[in-house]
Amino acid sequence: MGITRLLDIGKSALFTTQQAISVTGHNIANVDTPGYSRQQITLSENVPQDGSPGQIGTGVQAESIRRSLDSFVEDQLLSSREQLGQFNASGSAMARLEPLFGDANNQGIGAGLNDFFGALQDVATNPSDLSARTVFLSKATALAGQFNQSAQALTAAQQSIDHQVGQTITDVNRLTSQISGLNTKIAAAESSGQQANDLRDERGVALADLGERIEISSIEDATGQLTVFAGRGHALVDKERTYQLVGVPDLSNNGLLDVRYDAGAGSPTSIAPVIQSGRLKGLLDVRDQTIPSLQSSLDTLASELVTQVNQQHRLGFGLDGSTNQNFFAPAGTTAGTIAVSLSNVRQIAASSTVGGVPGNNANALVLAGLRTTDFASFGDVTFQEYYSTIAGNFGSATQGIQSNLQAQQVLHDQLTSQRSSVSGVSMDEELANLLQYQRSFEAASRMIVVADELFQSILSMKR
Amino acid sequence: MRVSDQQLYGSTIGNLQRTKERMVTAQEQIASQQRIAKPSDDPSIFGQVILDKSALADNDQWMRNIQFGTARVAVADQTLGETQNLIGRVRELAVQAGSDTTSAQGRVTIAQEVRQLHRQLIQLANTEVAGQPVFAGTKTNAPPFVLGTGDTVSYQGNSESQSIAVGPNQTTQIVLPGDQVFTGGTTNIFDDLSNLLTALEGNNKAGIEVGIGSLDQATAQISLAQGQIGAIANRLDTAQGTSQVVSEALQHVLSDQTSTDLATALTELQLQETAYQATSQTFTRLFDSSLLKFLR
Repeated sequence: MGITRLLDIGKSALFTTQQAISVTGHNIANVDTPGYSRQQITLSENVPQDGSPGQIGTGVQAESIRRSLDSFVEDQLLSSREQLGQFNASGSAMARLEPLFGDANNQGIGAGLNDFFGALQDVATNPSDLSARTVFLSKATALAGQFNQSAQALTAAQQSIDHQVGQTITDVNRLTSQISGLNTKIAAAESSGQQANDLRDERGVALADLGERIEISSIEDATGQLTVFAGRGHALVDKERTYQLVGVPDLSNNGLLDVRYDAGAGSPTSIAPVIQSGRLKGLLDVRDQTIPSLQSSLDTLASELVTQVNQQHRLGFGLDGSTNQNFFAPAGTTAGTIAVSLSNVRQIAASSTVGGVPGNNANALVLAGLRTTDFASFGDVTFQEYYSTIAGNFGSATQGIQSNLQAQQVLHDQLTSQRSSVSGVSMDEELANLLQYQRSFEAASRMIVVADELFQSILSMKR
Repeated sequence: MRVSDQQLYGSTIGNLQRTKERMVTAQEQIASQQRIAKPSDDPSIFGQVILDKSALADNDQWMRNIQFGTARVAVADQTLGETQNLIGRVRELAVQAGSDTTSAQGRVTIAQEVRQLHRQLIQLANTEVAGQPVFAGTKTNAPPFVLGTGDTVSYQGNSESQSIAVGPNQTTQIVLPGDQVFTGGTTNIFDDLSNLLTALEGNNKAGIEVGIGSLDQATAQISLAQGQIGAIANRLDTAQGTSQVVSEALQHVLSDQTSTDLATALTELQLQETAYQATSQTFTRLFDSSLLKFLR
């Protein structure tokens, strides 16, 4: 029937434009929402009716509301988040260790070694001068203090990183349970043929947050549910189910947290070695590699210093005739425990003969000569050369991570920009659409008025 | 390309942040005058800086050592000079006493002056620098030459000598033990004077002549010591010069390695400032041109 059809067509146009205006409004409202993907309404013609001389149209319908998304860019963005998380975590952890090497400002162990051997030279030059001996003893104590401080700073940094590891594990578990919850909701919504755009956006944000913390891969099944893997095929989320990560104090690693995977049966297994990137990887690298390697280098330095100085010192004679005395406490052979044990400045063994005191300085000269001696435990270099290698290597590692971080940030910005280009809301576009739909709405309303007028005309014929 | 609002904001904010970070870095370098403060600023240079600072400390220490040694050596040299004068004066007196015209009484009078000079020589041989005797070997806690009964003098120092570090693996002796300079070597000068006194007071002309002979030996012995001290002073002087040159070179290198090049840093700051302003201005322009402005 002609007029009713016109009324129906007008009605379909009215409803559809209203829906289109809602989608536009939703886009405008979410212009600043993180992770929001622009939604697009797809319009199509209604099924036509057969008639004479041919099929006749029945109006318009909204076919679907879809997210604008480039899944390739999304994948790249996720892996970029993983890298960024790793470099950010290790970069800032290492930047906090850099003040240990204050040598450019005459602080640090290098400067301490200079002061120590300088003061020892003063004793050698004027062996009977008590003030030179006092200065030497205080410089030695200061050097031991610098070693102790560095060791403490390293331990403190390790503890603080360990705390962050625990925090990150908690975050991972929170995010996986969030993702599994969203899995359930999405499956429920989409089982009835709906497209769960906003829930999917929300899950995308959670997935990216998860990726920043630990490297993941994921697959989506036909119902729209995600299975998320970390490490080597360790499922963190399996549709509606989650598997937890647990931080277990590892007694073979100073009680620091081991990252373990709880498969639900049996005791949790360690996955720390198979984590490839993400924040956890960055933290574990610094905690378990950079810091222990620094610690062991400083320990080697301290140990050699204690052994060599003591060995030579025991051969000499103090002003009071004392001999066979250790200068450093022999038990303190690490950076954390090195300590001066000699307290009486007269016992500093500058003399090589008992009869040579107070003016004999031969032993002090040999002691001072340790500064230029190459030691096998350092790979045949001197104290200073070994220390400068430690600082140089640490600097290279830090610089490497920082430049990786910078490069990754630029890449990430580019990817974000690409994502925005596809999925971001453009206000101009939405406003234009709004105008367009507004006009359509007006026209559809007009159509209904016309249909009404047609009815009126027909009805008036009866009179 | 489709441009979304987020994209505009995101890229502008990213650019502004990076520019500002570079501005802060340049500003820090200008304020601290330091191009390298942390190992990561330039790892290879940082390692080198540690070694250069260590080498600089070594050179400064050697110069300190040399300064100390030079003071000792200068005093020893001066003392030896005065000793030489003193022996010369004794020799004059001995020659005068040895003359046939000098009476026994005259020889006794001369002996009195020689005894004064003998005591003065003890003082010279006990010369100290900063409370430490110069000719005591390494036994520097007591005067080495002690007057015993009569005119006998005993040496209570030792024969050891002290060396100081003056360069890379180089040491230089800075002490001549007193038993080498005064009581040992060729002759014991105190014994020579003491014997001369006995000859003078005993009116023993032959003894006086023997004494003159031994004084010549004493002069030669002190001359030898003077020569040794002179050689030490030369070595110290040379070492000082070397350390000075190396030290200045190292300071220059360190300053090149670590100091901010002001011109470069200021140019960089200016550049980043301009970039920052330009980005800020274009940012406001971009957001001025929105469809929203024309829909009223």
